Amino acid sequence: MTATLAFAPLSEISTSLRKREVSATQLIDLYADRIERLAEVSKAFIRVDIEGARARAESIDKNFDGDLPLNGIPYACKDLFDVKDLPTTGGSQVLQDNVAHQDAEVVRRMNQAGAIFIGKNNLHEFAYGATGENTLYGTPPNPYDPSRLAGGSSSGSAAALGFGLCAAALGTDTGGSVRAPASLCGLVGFKPTYGRISTENVIPYSWTLDHIGTLTRSAADTGLLFDSLALELRPPVQTGLDKLTIGIPESFFFEHCDSEILDSIDALMNFLRQAGANLKPVPMPSMEFTRTVSLTVQMPEALCYHNRYLEQRGHLYSQDFRAGLALGQCLLAEQYIRAKRFIETYRNDMESVFAEVDLILTPATPVIAPKIGVVEVTVDGYSEPAGNAITRYTSFFNMTGHPAITLPCGLHSEGLPIGAQLVGKHFGDEQLIDIAQQIESGYDFQLRPPDLD
Amino acid sequence: MKKLDKQTLMGIRDQFGSYPWDDAEISELVDPKLGIITGFQELLDQLEVLRKVDLEATPPAGDISSK
Repeated sequence: MTATLAFAPLSEISTSLRKREVSATQLIDLYADRIERLAEVSKAFIRVDIEGARARAESIDKNFDGDLPLNGIPYACKDLFDVKDLPTTGGSQVLQDNVAHQDAEVVRRMNQAGAIFIGKNNLHEFAYGATGENTLYGTPPNPYDPSRLAGGSSSGSAAALGFGLCAAALGTDTGGSVRAPASLCGLVGFKPTYGRISTENVIPYSWTLDHIGTLTRSAADTGLLFDSLALELRPPVQTGLDKLTIGIPESFFFEHCDSEILDSIDALMNFLRQAGANLKPVPMPSMEFTRTVSLTVQMPEALCYHNRYLEQRGHLYSQDFRAGLALGQCLLAEQYIRAKRFIETYRNDMESVFAEVDLILTPATPVIAPKIGVVEVTVDGYSEPAGNAITRYTSFFNMTGHPAITLPCGLHSEGLPIGAQLVGKHFGDEQLIDIAQQIESGYDFQLRPPDLD
Repeated sequence: MKKLDKQTLMGIRDQFGSYPWDDAEISELVDPKLGIITGFQELLDQLEVLRKVDLEATPPAGDISSK
């Protein structure tokens, strides 16, 4: 068994398990060895449960059920998800003793599908921030360049997959916290239509914007996970690329973007045209106030949840999160409700856009992974905080609730992955994943695994 | 709209049943020095622009209907 298997897609691992070329126990041992060996550099895990994973793997090996879609597949989840009898820390000093009494619904579903929980991933404290920095557990680096960020807030989940420490990972996405780090690390990141995957027993950040998402090595793997995680499955709608009308935003989503990222998206667009897709420029709603609207919803909601801990443990929060919560305290109820009304207008505006197109294509991020510790990034003469840049093209779709997937489509001259984002219609998740798979199998681009030696 | 001052936020803290934020945290919101929070005043200015937009009867966003 080689390290290659550690970077194999689920479908390949699953086939090996079914053919008994590899046992679930051997797979756990492979990842356990890598987790231990790469713990210091990856900073991907807050806690592992190798003993529990091995016991479950042994049980699976004894009576392997080939009908379970994820049988024997080791996965990890961001440390916001409850796993029975383990602490859910949120990556914070605040919740070190917060032992879960039951599994999050998504963890229950993964386990029911045969997947093996292997550990809890590091994150930006309570998902507050897109850089994935964490003063308590360290900042997960990018597997393609350890001097750069994995991105966040699901930084540990992206690093775990990127360093070959698990076969799939779950994260939360409130402004791009699954899609952006996945893209920066050369992975596939997906968030469904708002509400299609349960957030039950997952520590919330912002109820209005939170989505559960998946990080995988391929869009096909995303489909496998979504089939097990979705609260309700819909009949798959299969549309050939030649039947698609793909919207290309006329504004905002291609502005102030790294030129090599734009080149990669251009190349992808050329592929899509050659495959017969109709690429159509589409006007988008004004993005001028979208960050303001998002923040005005996020911070009061975050404060509202964390109020339960503030009185006794307020001093244990990191300084930056406390400041964010303080801001949430100072916004007026009318401002919060108005922001939610603006979100409704964004949704209505996007209904008009999606009346003309099947999906929308944008770059996943305007920048490649920033250096660790960099506060502000500048691209095309435009400077902004690193976290804002990382989620600039993703956060709008948390407000509108559309399903969105990011997938690798290029390699920057600095050796970092470049990603594209596809956004589908509400409840068009299955179609979106299917189209991403078609692109994945047809587009002549394969990202090599990172050179970790 | 006048520029936000520390006294206003201290009033919210002390008279609205708020969590007792440190004076330093309140100061940071009004006059950022540490770079922890930037742009609160800018946020309020933008919200003031949004306040003047007539949203007619648009309700707040809720769940997404599957129709």
